[in-house]
Amino acid sequence: MDRQPLIKRKTAISYKTEEKTVVRGYSVSDLAEAGYTFYDMLFILFQNRIPAENEADMLRYETGEFLEHSMSPSAASAIAVIGGRPNLPAAIAAAVMTFGSAHGPGAAHGYMMHKYIERARVEGKTLEEMGKILVDEYMDAGLAVMGMGQPQHLDGDPRAEPTHIKHEQLCSGVYLALQRSIEKHFNARRKKEGKAFVAVNMIGAGNTALAELGFSPNAAWCIGCVCRGFSCAAHATYTMKKGHAWAASKREPMVQMLDLSMIKYKGPADREVPSQTERQEYARKQKEEGEYKKWAI
Amino acid sequence: MGNLDDPRLNFNYRTRETGTVAMDTKRDRFQWVSEVAYKNVHRIVTRGYDTTELVEQGYGLTDILFIDFQSRIPLIEEDKMLNYIMVCMLEDGLSSPANISRIVAGGKTILTQAAGSSILAFGHAYGAYQEIGKLMDGILARQEKEGKPLAEVVEAVVKTRLDDPALGVSGLMLKDPMAKRMIARAEKLGVAGKYVSLMKEIVKAAQKLSREPVDIDLLGATAAVMFDLGFTPEATWGILAVTRAFAAGAHYCEESEREAPVCLGQTLTPKEWYDGPEDRPVPTIEERKKVAKAMEAQTPEEWKQIFLERQRIKGSGWAIVEEIDDPRRKI
Repeated sequence: MDRQPLIKRKTAISYKTEEKTVVRGYSVSDLAEAGYTFYDMLFILFQNRIPAENEADMLRYETGEFLEHSMSPSAASAIAVIGGRPNLPAAIAAAVMTFGSAHGPGAAHGYMMHKYIERARVEGKTLEEMGKILVDEYMDAGLAVMGMGQPQHLDGDPRAEPTHIKHEQLCSGVYLALQRSIEKHFNARRKKEGKAFVAVNMIGAGNTALAELGFSPNAAWCIGCVCRGFSCAAHATYTMKKGHAWAASKREPMVQMLDLSMIKYKGPADREVPSQTERQEYARKQKEEGEYKKWAI
Repeated sequence: MGNLDDPRLNFNYRTRETGTVAMDTKRDRFQWVSEVAYKNVHRIVTRGYDTTELVEQGYGLTDILFIDFQSRIPLIEEDKMLNYIMVCMLEDGLSSPANISRIVAGGKTILTQAAGSSILAFGHAYGAYQEIGKLMDGILARQEKEGKPLAEVVEAVVKTRLDDPALGVSGLMLKDPMAKRMIARAEKLGVAGKYVSLMKEIVKAAQKLSREPVDIDLLGATAAVMFDLGFTPEATWGILAVTRAFAAGAHYCEESEREAPVCLGQTLTPKEWYDGPEDRPVPTIEERKKVAKAMEAQTPEEWKQIFLERQRIKGSGWAIVEEIDDPRRKI
């Protein structure tokens, strides 16, 4: 049996022999035997260190909060993909991959925080002052301030403020100070502009705590997004076991997700297919008229 | 057009209706139906429990996995055991999920693309939890039906499955105690049940029947204990594939930090690795009629001949013989 890796790489993360698997110098089996938890393991994996208990507690809290979010783009993707009844991992993979610049943009938020904390240091400003600068720079440029607002939880994500409070109790630091300042100045400016209050979301709260715990922007993003993969696996499994494949059954008492009546078409009106003898002239005219550009994506 | 000059067509292509289908007002409108979770503006609720209330009470990710998948709060021992399994499953060196994540990272992608793709490594050999679940449930069902001693049924099944990568017994962990320690921990915590007992019988039978030394492997240990914790094979598949994806994220980071990105057209394939047809001239379009021949079979005998011929073409897919199972199938 060939046990050599497919790709040859130097790695500082782990090694595996016939005798043991070692992560950052620790035998995985010994860690499990000693009673270390999955939360501890994430610190060892990404940060090469065993966390203090308060840090592990914060991560337990936060990953618990992240895991389930009912119907969001990730769960919807998992449910849609499993409709074709592929292997379950395909649906879960699709769910994790929905996380991008709108759904849980954790890494981007982390890089934003780093940039402004560094500026506070270099420019000799407080984090409180830097929060205002950040808000003004983003809003003047017409950019969304990351970490604020949630399209479903209009009064504020129910997980966010409790996460901030737990963060204050367990591991408060520079990231929380900057994030709180962002939230304060963001809403002060909105108020001045006659706009409604917008609360912090789980990127603003959760990602800030992960950064405080020492996770890089990408490591924090990984933890947040992959955590959601667990619940998406549950949604996909439920749909696989208790739902109809294809999601278009007419036998169901409720109109299904892919019922034909769900289609609303807004494209070009039905038109004749030109014959091959008409084709060249037809295509030339179509290109010249340029009406097609309205539809090109 | 019309009926395309073929009377077998049961509708007229010229007079088909145009436009979309009207809204179905006779049935209830579409909604996301779920037994797992719901949310409103102020709450996220899984299986009846508010998720913020859960974490405020000290429940964590591993507890919520029991809630999400099994609709119950786990015993402390069960939560400890799940933590133990997830600690062991998080990282596995440069195995398939890490490789996939690194390859995807090489394209200069974003983390979620790489971590998500790593989950695709889990199939019916690597992390074959659905398969081993079917195997174990099949044995238990057969034993109940036939009423024979478990050891006898297990031996009859194992005899035919010794090379099955989903057996849970192999030569992979002869020197690594991780799998055996996991079983011992399950017994110590009092969470071992019928699946651990069954796995022990499978190991015993495999060791008796195999010419090579074999023992319980990580698939066998994790599957047996996860099933005894009440997770279905599908839930186990999902949970442990996602567990591994966290470390795939670390591999994405390291690949991005240490290696240069890989561009389209960059990677060469050495000719020494190639064992396909010799280099040959491309026929002109005029020569094509002489060179090319259609391969439609007209009789089953012809089909078989062509089938066997096609099986010799590596990469055609004809040599793969498998049953794409309906995942809803019950034992």
